[in-house]
Amino acid sequence: MNTHKLRQRLGRIGLHVVLCTVGMLFLLPFVWSVSTSLKPLADLFEVTPRLIPSQVRWENYSDVFDILPFGRFYLNSVFVTAMRTVGQVFIASLAAFSFSQLRFPGRDIIFFALLTGLMVPDQVLIIPRYIIMRNLGWLDTYQGLIIPLLFSSFGTFLLRQFFLGIPKDYHEAAKLEGANPLQIYWQIYVPLARPALAAFGFLTLLWSWNEFLWALIMTNRTDMQVLSVGIALFQGQYFTNNAILLAAANLATFPLLILFLFFQRQLVQGIALSGLK
Amino acid sequence: MATAHLSTRVRHLGLLVRKGRMGNEALWGYLLIAPMLIGFTVFFLIALIASFVLSFTSWDVISTPQWIGMDNYVRLFRDDEFVTALRNTIAITVPNVILRMIFSLALALALNSDIRFRSFYRMLFFMPVLTMPVAIGTIWKWLYDPAFGPINGFLARIGLPRPEWLSNPNTAVVAVIIVLLWSGVGYDMIIFLAGLQAIPAEYYEAAQLDGASGWRRFRDITLPLLTPTTFFLIIIAIISSLQVFDLVYVMTRVGNANKLPTIVYYVYDEGFRNFRMGYAITVAWALLFIIFVFTLLQFRLQRRWVHYG
Repeated sequence: MNTHKLRQRLGRIGLHVVLCTVGMLFLLPFVWSVSTSLKPLADLFEVTPRLIPSQVRWENYSDVFDILPFGRFYLNSVFVTAMRTVGQVFIASLAAFSFSQLRFPGRDIIFFALLTGLMVPDQVLIIPRYIIMRNLGWLDTYQGLIIPLLFSSFGTFLLRQFFLGIPKDYHEAAKLEGANPLQIYWQIYVPLARPALAAFGFLTLLWSWNEFLWALIMTNRTDMQVLSVGIALFQGQYFTNNAILLAAANLATFPLLILFLFFQRQLVQGIALSGLK
Repeated sequence: MATAHLSTRVRHLGLLVRKGRMGNEALWGYLLIAPMLIGFTVFFLIALIASFVLSFTSWDVISTPQWIGMDNYVRLFRDDEFVTALRNTIAITVPNVILRMIFSLALALALNSDIRFRSFYRMLFFMPVLTMPVAIGTIWKWLYDPAFGPINGFLARIGLPRPEWLSNPNTAVVAVIIVLLWSGVGYDMIIFLAGLQAIPAEYYEAAQLDGASGWRRFRDITLPLLTPTTFFLIIIAIISSLQVFDLVYVMTRVGNANKLPTIVYYVYDEGFRNFRMGYAITVAWALLFIIFVFTLLQFRLQRRWVHYG
């Protein structure tokens, strides 16, 4: 009995050692990125680089804003992400409510057609979408960055599954009281589905903040670019100092990272939810 | 509590709204799906048809598209650059998918116990999932820097050669796979954890009573019951690795040449740098076809190994 316990304890310590080592490997790129971003230029040319900067140079972070309209990139990213997230959640949840709770001719065929959207990769559609935007004169505009990406088959599918799980009683009761479907959606289904809406919203927020390809082809003007595009395009061109470049990368990442550490549970639930069918 | 609250809300609604039969349900149904349906029609259906038609044309965006029949598709087979892009993409995808499954399952198993600091570890492995791919590429490009990066600094210290990681296609594949694993394993780990937690504890208890060893329990209970989750994750991992773009855009591009062009990079390059829109779309259709084949193959093989309990 005693040896069994000892073995269990040893196994546990071994597990911690392995997890700690792997965890360190996962953390190291972030740590190195932060340390590099605080180094003075001379430190970057050491043949055996050291983790700790010879002196801490906070100015690398303010330099980012002097070299590029980084504040503008930030505002663009925040605005575009906010609009896409709110729009996607609203449009997908309205459709999901209708598909799951209302009866109308052709409903299931339309829903099935919508699901084909899950199977076609965006790259096949990106050039025609670009042409539509160009013909509308929407290149280098917020509409162009936002509107084509507001319609999520995935979100509709996910939220429909969730709405189907809500007991019909509420719906029936509200119907008897004479509420119209939009009111039932807004006052009953939205509050009940808050965890699912939040989960989908977080996934959308994450995807949108990090999105690159569409923003890359939609924008030419510097003042319309988002963070991902700004950082990618100006490497080697304006950012010849890697410390400043990594400061820019950290500035683009860390706010979101911190936000999500607070909402870790919702996000994890969202991902787990998206994995279950 | 919540239920009582809701039923008052329902009654309250009833007071607000004029009594009477619910309006035309079908009309409401169409109205509520209208925004989604309009967007889907324009940005999916019409775009898809346009994409298909344009793949039979030669078009530089400025002049009118020229109908060239199957030429773009024929060209695919003779185009060395496409073959290179395809080879790179497969060389990234296959090892990435296999290693990703192994590592993420191992991490999920390690965290599926009552060990301390679980959520801390989970957070560590999960952080790269939250990080912008462009920033990931930027950070790792510096880590791989042949002269001043810490990876080569470390290799030199232990007496190993210092490869030019990103400027040689062979090492660049390895480098990109490492980054993909670092940034993707945390996601699969979360889904594996959810899958593990869905396995009823009684199964393990029964097996323990029968005297099954830890390894036997893993092989006979955990693995078979996780196969639907694994199947789902493999499909997602294949599709996402076949579409790698951001990382190679940031990490392996030198000037306008890419040392490790992938299929999506080639689509971008042909369409938006060389302005051969018709051909770029054809390459994208080839990608769709490859994804389709891989997925179909998975669904075919599924019967052999996926266990639906």
